[in-house]
Amino acid sequence: MSLPEVDICIIGSGAGGAPMALELGRAGFKVVVLEKGPHYRPQDFIHDEILNSRRNFFMPLPWEEPHLIRRNAKERYERSTAAWTANCVGGGTVHMSGFFYRLKPVDFRLRSTLGAVPGSTVVDWPISYEELAPFYDKAEVELGVSGQAVPHPFAEPRSGPYPLPALDVHPVAGEIDKACAAMGWHSLPTARGIISRPYKGRAPCAYCALCGSYGCEMGAKSGTNANLIPAAIATGNVQVRPGCMARTVEVDRKGRARSVVYVDPDGVTQEQPAKVIVVSCTAVESARLLLNSTSSRFSQGLANGSGLVGKNLIFSSFGESQATFRLSKQADKRPWLKDPGPFVNRSIQDFYLMPDTRFGFRKGGTLGFMWTHPNPIHAATGLAGSGASAVFGKELKDRMRAYRDSRILQFEVYAEYLPTPGSYVGVEQGVKDHFGIPVAAITVERHPLDLVATRFLVDRGEEVLLRLEPDEVKRTNTTGETTILQHGTCRFGDDAATSVLDKHCRAHEVPNLYVVDGSFMPTGGSVPSTLTIAANSFRVADHLVRSLKSGARAGG
Amino acid sequence: MLLGPVACKRSSDDSSKAPPKDPGPLARESGGKTPRTFSAFEYAVVVAATERILPRDEDPGATDADVAVYIDRILQTPEMEPIRGDFLEGVAALERRAQRMFQKGFATLTPAQQDELLTLFKDSPGKSGEAHFFELLTVLSLEGFLGDPSYGGNKGRVGWRLVGFDTVGTVAMAPPDDYDGPKCLRECGVHK
Repeated sequence: MSLPEVDICIIGSGAGGAPMALELGRAGFKVVVLEKGPHYRPQDFIHDEILNSRRNFFMPLPWEEPHLIRRNAKERYERSTAAWTANCVGGGTVHMSGFFYRLKPVDFRLRSTLGAVPGSTVVDWPISYEELAPFYDKAEVELGVSGQAVPHPFAEPRSGPYPLPALDVHPVAGEIDKACAAMGWHSLPTARGIISRPYKGRAPCAYCALCGSYGCEMGAKSGTNANLIPAAIATGNVQVRPGCMARTVEVDRKGRARSVVYVDPDGVTQEQPAKVIVVSCTAVESARLLLNSTSSRFSQGLANGSGLVGKNLIFSSFGESQATFRLSKQADKRPWLKDPGPFVNRSIQDFYLMPDTRFGFRKGGTLGFMWTHPNPIHAATGLAGSGASAVFGKELKDRMRAYRDSRILQFEVYAEYLPTPGSYVGVEQGVKDHFGIPVAAITVERHPLDLVATRFLVDRGEEVLLRLEPDEVKRTNTTGETTILQHGTCRFGDDAATSVLDKHCRAHEVPNLYVVDGSFMPTGGSVPSTLTIAANSFRVADHLVRSLKSGARAGG
Repeated sequence: MLLGPVACKRSSDDSSKAPPKDPGPLARESGGKTPRTFSAFEYAVVVAATERILPRDEDPGATDADVAVYIDRILQTPEMEPIRGDFLEGVAALERRAQRMFQKGFATLTPAQQDELLTLFKDSPGKSGEAHFFELLTVLSLEGFLGDPSYGGNKGRVGWRLVGFDTVGTVAMAPPDDYDGPKCLRECGVHK
């Protein structure tokens, strides 16, 4: 059954969808937001690891809604929960850690600055940092970002300070500062999407320590569920419909997007017509939706005449090491180890570009320091190991006792994940989710230079950890990818032959279709991309509001 | 993290996956331990096996924490339905192997014999049913030892004390004492 037409239908309510909903609602347009997950309230966010982290509170169950994933095109797909972000109002911004870095100017012109990279489809962005900067400012204010800007060689230009002062940090941050200073590096306060003071009616952070991977019961985490979505609803023009899974975007005879067909919470198929349709379901799921939206005009999927939808998939290159401090050995001379402060909030970006060309390609990345996550089941399953090297019995309990005696500092690497022809997402017609919709199938083929750069950054991070004189430093990963950070599958550009979206994130082939999650990003930058996605969505909303209003003045 | 990709493996034999008769198996009960998923016999095997994963030594073990109670109850939740059959098959396989090797039931073996059998399962090829069961047994034991007590395990918070979670001097606090995890598992996000 077809519902009454609205001005805008937005699919997804996370970092991309929510800014659009808010700005279009403020401008007086009638907006419907379809969100596949539930609308959690702060009282639903409970420190229960089983509920929160081990069932389908946020992520779908792999036997109900799998992603298929393989390391290269020769392997068989495995069912996985990888590359899902939270399925709920607010999307991935609900359970994010909220590391709210900006991209650097160089990220917008990587190809022209660093040259061609054999085996990679790296390109420049069609916009500059300067064009996005005002919307970074706006996103930081609207969402609520705490931080402290300090000068360093790769610092991006800012128009002013952060809207909120930096959060309190654990004393180990001062130790990292000293270690970095001794090496001539810059220890940077990490900007967070967490408010440090009361802000726009929201209560500040209570320093509860169960932050990343949890929703915030205080509303202090700057997920769109805490700020933009309530503000959008308050305009009176925006209706959020949770529990609604988009199946296809339909087109009319002229090839314009006409409606969204979705499954409502009762399992009934509905059709929502709209003048403009905005897709923002994550780079993987948006590509899946477009590829599943076939018609006689778009036989390969909506807006996919170029064949590029789903191609150029990029995640964030990941590396990690951990430093363990045994309290029984170290706490006497370092009483600060027992400080309960949850935040370290220190980053290093001295290697955002490599110091020289020894690796062939000069893009490096960011190191972010933090305490390991306190979830006990997660920690213990890690201690138990897996496969033949797993342990049980007394050995497992001894490891758990040693864990109790430990504080474990880690760093994460966020490094360039170069786009390659071998990393892409498609749909697998033979595998359907519990809605009966063909699922996303992801192929990951890493560029070797990514791995070199990631290892280089892990080496640098370990130099910092070793200076803190821990009892043990353990390298846990140099070849990973963070699949919750996803981009590239509808890259934007000026040429319709080589990109899916134009510079305003409007589909080249469908004049009233926009995509505003990470899909537009042809390169991912070397920081978590949440703030960038939100800033870009504010930029696109600004353009769309203006073009709709001028279109209305022009009579149609 | 959910149970992970391994949890996707489903048996083609559905006979052991009969749905539970009692739709409210997670209701709190005081001391009543009538198993819901397991027969009394299977329950004894699970108690013995989980006690080898987390044996009592100078600190409490799986039995002290009611880990088997947790597993028995959690396997009744709808989300765990595909796991239930796998787990029951694993329990049967463990028992069969005990009979073949020692001509005795698993629960009546010595701890050393039980460890020998569990090690055999652990070291089985990665995609085998035995290795899958060992992983399920370990993961569910740790959930039952370190999860919220309202799910039936972690009795007296002994698991949290062992790893130093939710104790004085740490900030990562658990939900309050009257919290009902199983109820939230069913109802969180439902706002009428």
